[in-house]
Amino acid sequence: MTSAEEISKLFDSESQKLKTLFDTVDSKTTMNIHEIVETYYQVMNVSSMVTMLKSQADSEPNPLLTEIQETEKLISEKFDSIIHPRILAKISSSIQEMTKNLQSGTSGEKSKEQIESDAKLFEELRQTMSTKEFVEQYEKGISHD
Amino acid sequence: MISDIAKNLVELKKEFVKVYDGNSQIQELIPKSTSELFQIEQSHLDLLHEFATKNPIYYNSFEKKIGSVDCIVYEGDINKYWLNSIQHGSSKAPFSPTWIMSGYVGALLAKELGYSDVIDIGSGDGRIAFAAKILGMESYSIEIDNLLVDLQNLLTSTLDFHPFCSDAVAFDYTSLNLTRPIFFIGGLAQMGGISLASGVLNSIQSVSNLEKKTGWVFAGTLSQKYPSDPKNEAGWGTLIDDNNLKILKNISLPTAWTLHESDETLYIFAKSN
Repeated sequence: MTSAEEISKLFDSESQKLKTLFDTVDSKTTMNIHEIVETYYQVMNVSSMVTMLKSQADSEPNPLLTEIQETEKLISEKFDSIIHPRILAKISSSIQEMTKNLQSGTSGEKSKEQIESDAKLFEELRQTMSTKEFVEQYEKGISHD
Repeated sequence: MISDIAKNLVELKKEFVKVYDGNSQIQELIPKSTSELFQIEQSHLDLLHEFATKNPIYYNSFEKKIGSVDCIVYEGDINKYWLNSIQHGSSKAPFSPTWIMSGYVGALLAKELGYSDVIDIGSGDGRIAFAAKILGMESYSIEIDNLLVDLQNLLTSTLDFHPFCSDAVAFDYTSLNLTRPIFFIGGLAQMGGISLASGVLNSIQSVSNLEKKTGWVFAGTLSQKYPSDPKNEAGWGTLIDDNNLKILKNISLPTAWTLHESDETLYIFAKSN
């Protein structure tokens, strides 16, 4: 197998993985942090491949170029326009809700066990806030394109 | 002697990490009594314990022998203060405390270097200002977060370390009649410390005759988790260089955020060159 064929095969496999991830995201009402990070990582991975392959591909129509264009369209129309805004809105609303709940529970005497159990919810909030920062970094990348 | 206390505190912390099996968000210890390793006046240790006992961030304490030292371990939670501090638009860094013992050792060094007024900037619960007051220095505690200042006011009945609820960058330092001040800047360089320090440096540089007499203490990190400064100094090199400061001494001390780290927090003592 030539190097070009290998690259084409790898791109095909990574694009398929991306489509499967998008289908999974579509079928879910909530995503955990791992799933969110995995989805963005795959989008960034495939986007990097698109950039690299486009610079190397012939401008003449060929199957790889067609697949690259289809994948670009999928990322732009499905992820950037629908999935990403939905994820960002969902994370923002989760942070608001968690913050409100935690604020309402900060007054009054609490047992050691209750304090340590609540600490886990605070940790969850911190992780969600970090995920939001990560997602917003992607947003900045889109706006600079 | 101060270097020995600092080294012994770091060793004690390492021993503590090996044996601590609790679940609290933050934890620290204070030796129960003066000893060969901690040659600190008993009345000072008693006041540090009083600070911890009255401080609502600690919800549990117990005695434990760590190595050869009888200690009291304090378990605490700062989540509600963290939640409040991140909602302050002008807050430069979320609250995360140094150890009470570290605050005391830092204040000891400030006194040995000849400073008479300690100003704890972004003071959290005011522990550094409190420790300075134990040592007979004049001390002031500047904190923007109202919840934390309310907490500090609960502790001033023991020693008045003068809490102010204010943005440290906008604070009028001439009102304090400082003679030989040293400013402890809260927050790592990479966690809002640079912005906070730059603002306070500008304020002091605009007060005639004060700049040359003023000392600065910066909390630095060697952790690779944070971006390094091109001029090093644990994140503070560029600021030190840009403001023509000279390093007097560095001292490593335990903090809440380095409990599970191999490197402690490096406190950099500096003054105008």
